[in-house]
Amino acid sequence: MYGWVGKILYVDLSKEKIWTEPLTEALGKKFLGNRGINAKILWDLVKPGIDPLGPENVIIFGTGPLTGTTAPSSGRVTVTFKSPVTNLFFKTNVGGHFGAELKFAGYDHLVILGKAKKPVYIWIDDDHVEIRDASHLWGKDVRETDKIIKEDVGDKDIITVCAGPAGENLVYFASIMASVYNAAGRGSGGAVMGSKKLKAIAVRGSGQVEIKEPEKFYETALDVRKKLSQDSGAISLHLYGTSGSVAAVNELHAFPTRNWQLGHTDKIEYLTGQYLVEQGYLVRRVACFGCSIGCHRYVMVKGGKYAGTFTGGPEYETFSALGAGPEVYNTEAVIKANELCNILGLDTISTGDVIQWAMECYERGVLTKEDTEGLDLSFGNEETLLELIKKIAYRQGKLGNLLADGLKRAVEKVGKDSWKWAMFNSKGLEQSRVDTRVAKAYSLAFAVNPRGPDHLHTETFAEFGASPEAVELIEKLTGDKKWASPYYTEYRPEIVRWHEDCYAVTEAMGICVFTSTAAYAVNPANMAEMFSYATGIKMTEEEIMFAGRRIVTLEKCFNVREGADRKLDDLPWRMMHEPAPTGPGKGLVNSPEELNKMLDRYYELHGWDKETSWPYKETLIKLGLEDVAKQLEKLGRLPKKTVKK
Amino acid sequence: MEKCTGCKVCMLACSFTKEGVFSPMKSRIWILREESKSMFVPVVCEHCEDAPCQVVCPVGAIYRDHEKGIVLIDESRCIGCRECMWICPFGAVQLNLEKRVAVKCDLCNGDPECVKVCIPGALQFVSAKRPTATKGWERALKRSKALEMEVG
Repeated sequence: MYGWVGKILYVDLSKEKIWTEPLTEALGKKFLGNRGINAKILWDLVKPGIDPLGPENVIIFGTGPLTGTTAPSSGRVTVTFKSPVTNLFFKTNVGGHFGAELKFAGYDHLVILGKAKKPVYIWIDDDHVEIRDASHLWGKDVRETDKIIKEDVGDKDIITVCAGPAGENLVYFASIMASVYNAAGRGSGGAVMGSKKLKAIAVRGSGQVEIKEPEKFYETALDVRKKLSQDSGAISLHLYGTSGSVAAVNELHAFPTRNWQLGHTDKIEYLTGQYLVEQGYLVRRVACFGCSIGCHRYVMVKGGKYAGTFTGGPEYETFSALGAGPEVYNTEAVIKANELCNILGLDTISTGDVIQWAMECYERGVLTKEDTEGLDLSFGNEETLLELIKKIAYRQGKLGNLLADGLKRAVEKVGKDSWKWAMFNSKGLEQSRVDTRVAKAYSLAFAVNPRGPDHLHTETFAEFGASPEAVELIEKLTGDKKWASPYYTEYRPEIVRWHEDCYAVTEAMGICVFTSTAAYAVNPANMAEMFSYATGIKMTEEEIMFAGRRIVTLEKCFNVREGADRKLDDLPWRMMHEPAPTGPGKGLVNSPEELNKMLDRYYELHGWDKETSWPYKETLIKLGLEDVAKQLEKLGRLPKKTVKK
Repeated sequence: MEKCTGCKVCMLACSFTKEGVFSPMKSRIWILREESKSMFVPVVCEHCEDAPCQVVCPVGAIYRDHEKGIVLIDESRCIGCRECMWICPFGAVQLNLEKRVAVKCDLCNGDPECVKVCIPGALQFVSAKRPTATKGWERALKRSKALEMEVG
């Protein structure tokens, strides 16, 4: 097989059985790979209504048809499962070197079913796959786990993914860590691994990826790489990482601060990628497999109270979530908090959202010293921030346990309007650090995101019009350059839908979305070209985007099957009811009226029913999802009306 | 070595150029990554002046191309005994598991593919006449920084 290596590896931890099934060309053509095929496998294997932390859940790691090739930034893996946080569909995408290694071992996808009786890890050495005892790894942090497995195997070049103590303790925002410092952060995949008693997966691959038209592929991929290397967005990502944009977002008063009470801080300097470089914290710029951008960074604190702290990051999200959010402006403390989250296996976004919510509860007197067991939860208290991270990961004490359950569950216990300043929406996920009040396409994308309110399902960066390529794209989608401004609500549904498709295609290829929706050097046309040369299956730009739509729709249908409807497509209360306090977007809010208007148009564009948000039968059939339509029909989850012409 | 991001695209470019497939195992340059030490080091043939691999090769398959100044392996004479692999102080010689012969970097006839794809510029192909020229210049500029700032 070309492009794909043609095998899906299944490991059933309950039955202790390991087998492979072929990845057929028909499946590849329909769902492309990575995120797309993952969604199809999840749809087929997970029955509606199951407990995400029970043995019926599955966790799928997917590589793409371009993984392990010179296609730009093609080292991404999608991890898909039913999330314990939302009880809905979840996919989380991660870099590092695991994907390429898995593919070189001979597998496009790895599907894990069941639940082990005692802690185990999976060792994949090409054709040799083994479920191994992990009792010596249980309780170990991410760094230790990686080190011990490498010693066990006797090879330092193998790649691991693992859950940290937070995953073992079923924290509702436990991440899966790959190649030590890369996080499949959101949705609590770490707890799904923990519930399966699966500590880690280690892989060594010595195989190869074959290409149908090697010369043409190599040349095209090299051209795109060169284009990417000259893109201003990509250059900035290499120099300063995602946190290079912090100061600019702060200028727009859109940098969530003090639990989203503010969008701006005067102390921003200490929370920027530029500061990390200038002050010598940066020790290396790091790339995922095959990536010419290299936006990841390793940082180290060399002196003072936090001397010896070493970690990947802090990213934009982390600087907001663990810096401005709790108002901790000491760079070194934020690096320390980031390190703790990374090695304990916690999602920095949700960890930050939960802690600053607790800080606001404390400020408002809703949580008292009695509830916090003596901890001073004032904003700006860095000792508290660090202490709470540990308490959450190990579920220590009353407060640690409360916060480890995530916002959705915590507000139920605390009550007293505390949900009003808790940054999660009806799906239950904590919001990532974008002020959607002043970025309207983002607000729509966040509301309809099947995972919950974050930017990692569809990013609509182009609406800011920050580069000539972005403006050009907005013109193409809306007919006029003037719509390249985040304050407009017009044409946002059109912008979101294009980005959804493009995002899905990019991830399905195994490529990083930074290349196609932050930088624009990678686009549907050159992805179609690379895909065609790699696999030998000719696809046009339109056809590949149509496959993207199919993936997006299938993921939506998973939620419909679980009982989700339009009511879940909303935003946190604070975004919908409290106007932005300062800045150029002062007074803007994601009012229900505004959001509803965009939602109507969005559903209409998709061929989904406005009342329920469910896809029409005709829409599903047009996308080649007849089986999905049949299942939903049986469950009574197809809209009664038909498509309006 | 400070510039290497550990992306390993050099390994893919190498295996593609030499073997026609994407396979790090078949690469003649190897990137070692040690996350906890932030240590990313490329391992590749250094084309030693007094090459131990050439000395130990029992069949004379390893020779020096004096014109180009590089050490090469004649695959048709190699018997796959692995002596060169063990003696190489850098670990830069591999056994090609299909051809069962020793392989290593031959600098792509003076135009190495790995250098072409290394966007961070960690891999460079420099003249043998003064290979340390760049380093010398960097150091010189650093030492004369005060003056440079005054003038420029």
